[in-house]
Amino acid sequence: MRALLLASLAALALHAQPQVQRFTLPNGLRVLHLEEHERPLVRARLHLRLDPADLPPGRQGLPRLVLRMLDHSDAAGLKAGDFDRLLEGSGIQLIQGLEPDGLEWRLLARSRDQDRALGLLADRLLRTVFDPSVLQVQRLACGRDEARQEAPPYPRLREALLQEPGSRPTPASLGAITLEDLLAFRARVFRPDRAVLVLQGDLGLEQAKRLVLLSLGSWTAQEPRPAIPPPPATTPLPATPPPPADAPGPPGESSGAPLRIPAPGTGLRIQAVAIQPDDLAPEAAALLTLLVPDDPAPSHVRFTVEDRHLIATLDVGTGAGAGSLFQERLETLRQRSFTQADLDRARTAWEAGRALATLHPGSRLETAFLEAEGRGVQDIRMKALSPAALSAALRQWLAPARIRTGAAGDPEALKAIPTDLQPKP
Amino acid sequence: MRLLVPFLIATLGLHAQVPPMTEVQERRLANGARLLLVERRGLTAFHAALVFRGGRAEEPAAAAGATDLLARTLFGATWPEDLEPATASLDALLKQEEGLLESLRLQRLRLRRDPSASSPLPSLEASLEAVQSHLKARFSPSPLSDLYTARGGRQSAEATADALVAETELPQEAFEFWCRTEAQRLRTLQLSRFSQARTALVADLKQQGDPGMALLRGAALPGHPYGRDLADHLPALEALRWSDLRTYARRALSPDRLTIILVGGLGLEGALPLLERHLGSLPVPPDGEDAVLPEIAAGLGDRRVQAALGGAPRLLVGWRIPPRQHPDHLALRMAAQLLGGGRTSRLQAHLVRQKTLARQVDLHLDVPGGRFPGLLVADLGPAHGHSLAELEGALHGEILHLQQDPIPQDEWQRALALLEMDHLRVLDEPASLARSLGRAWAEGGDWRLADREAQRLRTLGQEDVQAAARVWLKPSHRTTVLLEPTPGESSDPLEADMARVLKALAASRIEDLAQREQLVSEGLRQLRMLSADERLRTLKLLEAQLAPVKP
Repeated sequence: MRALLLASLAALALHAQPQVQRFTLPNGLRVLHLEEHERPLVRARLHLRLDPADLPPGRQGLPRLVLRMLDHSDAAGLKAGDFDRLLEGSGIQLIQGLEPDGLEWRLLARSRDQDRALGLLADRLLRTVFDPSVLQVQRLACGRDEARQEAPPYPRLREALLQEPGSRPTPASLGAITLEDLLAFRARVFRPDRAVLVLQGDLGLEQAKRLVLLSLGSWTAQEPRPAIPPPPATTPLPATPPPPADAPGPPGESSGAPLRIPAPGTGLRIQAVAIQPDDLAPEAAALLTLLVPDDPAPSHVRFTVEDRHLIATLDVGTGAGAGSLFQERLETLRQRSFTQADLDRARTAWEAGRALATLHPGSRLETAFLEAEGRGVQDIRMKALSPAALSAALRQWLAPARIRTGAAGDPEALKAIPTDLQPKP
Repeated sequence: MRLLVPFLIATLGLHAQVPPMTEVQERRLANGARLLLVERRGLTAFHAALVFRGGRAEEPAAAAGATDLLARTLFGATWPEDLEPATASLDALLKQEEGLLESLRLQRLRLRRDPSASSPLPSLEASLEAVQSHLKARFSPSPLSDLYTARGGRQSAEATADALVAETELPQEAFEFWCRTEAQRLRTLQLSRFSQARTALVADLKQQGDPGMALLRGAALPGHPYGRDLADHLPALEALRWSDLRTYARRALSPDRLTIILVGGLGLEGALPLLERHLGSLPVPPDGEDAVLPEIAAGLGDRRVQAALGGAPRLLVGWRIPPRQHPDHLALRMAAQLLGGGRTSRLQAHLVRQKTLARQVDLHLDVPGGRFPGLLVADLGPAHGHSLAELEGALHGEILHLQQDPIPQDEWQRALALLEMDHLRVLDEPASLARSLGRAWAEGGDWRLADREAQRLRTLGQEDVQAAARVWLKPSHRTTVLLEPTPGESSDPLEADMARVLKALAASRIEDLAQREQLVSEGLRQLRMLSADERLRTLKLLEAQLAPVKP
């Protein structure tokens, strides 16, 4: 009865939220619109999907370098500094980033500046002329960002484990990227039919249509250029610091070899990251996010779910026995069987928690985007989920081939870490 | 021409009114707790913040870390066992655990002084394990046992220099449940997972601090709790007992130090009676005196610390600035915005982009807090091929430029536009609004400060900013920390241990960070002249001197 009441209230809460309106421009750009007039603000999020085929072999770091080049080149006849002055003169915030599945730009502007904000975003995307004179500087900056030598060992371990195996830029791969590579990547990826734009805030639907048409309506797809062959010989980056001794090389996902980050005088941390499978049902993922985190006693493995990644962490003083304890706990979690009571409780909590989205303007953009991509949670599928399906989803998420493992700590303690930290049945 | 038009539009736009925080409703509960309520009719959930004024700055040295521990153990989660009326058996187990932890700590100290002494350590450890397994049996490890998570909510807590802030988000229909739960939490103060929280805090302090910033704070604010580094007080934290923390919490979390901030779909008429019934009936402890803190003169003199902490080279410069209520504070905020806020700010544009002297620049205002005089900190990393000295010279040149040369109008308008946009964003996001109101109250004694500052920005003159920069950003207010990479940094574990022990000993005896660093460097240099055996013996002797501070 109580669950029913909560579900009804959650449903009512959802009805109170603004409805998403959808339209598509003739050039194929999909647009989602959420109208809200509470405050004179407009938010936008533009997502460009990346496919594995977009990344030529031997050019790891290409998307990151493209973003840096966009940021430091002239756009629409404006010098990079003038472009920033125009943005900041109106208080417009424009943030770009590399997400696991694509490139993303986020805008925040006063509603009176919406035309300029979206116009500047279009200039950045469509009318930036890559400046060859800054390429080398940006390659070096990319290399430095990757090395993160000044960062403490634990965050470095986590960052390294979150990287897609084989996608981590190296001095050689960054050195191999040419201006032609950047242009070819842009021609392949920067296409309106690959993009989704979410607009939210103080603008009506007709206004939104006019705005998007004016700023991004002229965006046309370029013919994809021929695929780049692997580089015959790479040009190593001059003056780039050598990769640290602990650089993970190709992360040992399939080999199961744990990454090691030596840090003298630091306690040992063993960590595993399981990337959420693309084909995992979003309903199961939503419930597992509620069911998996744990609050164990010290010296036991801690499980968290952060940004679609399931992370297991064990902090211990020494390496003796830690590896096997870690493997055992991972396997125990992998074999967990959920009951109907677990499922019901998680479902009730998830349904009640949907009301919280009204507190976070940014999360409404995220939800709308996921639904547009077919990755949103659907009520019918949520109701149909069974305990067995939930348990199977957890096993799928924690399949040994999907888990990247590593350890950071005193070199002596690292010696005791076994060569394989994958869960053992 | 293209640049001119948007600039003119932006300039005109600034004459629009910054929305005031008129929607904030304030009430006082019967026991003295304050309530700030912002009703947002369209929302179906609420964000609640409990802000307890005080924070780390009011901790006595013997209870250093107590605010952080309370954030973790009292407000980190909402377990049912912490809310039930105190049961004799749980209390007895927690007291037993406290006794065993204390005996173990003393035994370990004894052994450190005399490793050959016989010790009941193994049996104590076994007893502790048994007690803790009894305790654990009472706790459910499932995250859905957390009462807020089970209702779709989430919570977090943070200890700052000026306050302890506990935040919760829940669907609107759970409001009465939230009132009841928070009142019960503060009445019971069970802290059942105290030892786990303390172990985790000690581990975090050992691993994740920012030693450069701690060095700067200590050297710039000597003798003041704002200059304290918790990592220097680990013995005190390890000696803090469960019952000590409960005693501390009764005083630090009393209703007269509390402001409740609610933002969401709640009306005052509906919310107030529930708040009165639950949180308004919390008892007020008799001794509600505020801690008396030392005052630090801003003009302590130009101080410099040079240290090698490993990692990349870094320049940290901090100027002692007045607290947030001071009339010059807003002008200094604008000065910080002009210097380091945004991609077109002076340090970004000149030092990072044009001269490429720096690879990274960050500016922080009110470090570590704004209730007392704190710091404006410039944190810079030199670009490859440039020295810290070059960077320091360029930074001082920019400060001088700000103090003496007229500020171009377009630059002024950009800084204003960014600050006003940030204010609008805060108004739009319930969590940011609650934090902003709470911070204004904890730092300035009045939530209206946040609103007044936003309105005053538009009447602030360029001459005010320059005058404030001349008064506060001068050498006698300045502390400079130069972090050099360690040349040929030793990977010798004995040397690392020696450095750790020397630092801990120095921390317990010398307040001044500059003197402390010098002493440790000199000590390490002399110890390197000894043989390995002699160094090992010296290390043991020094370790034995690491006596804990008794709370």
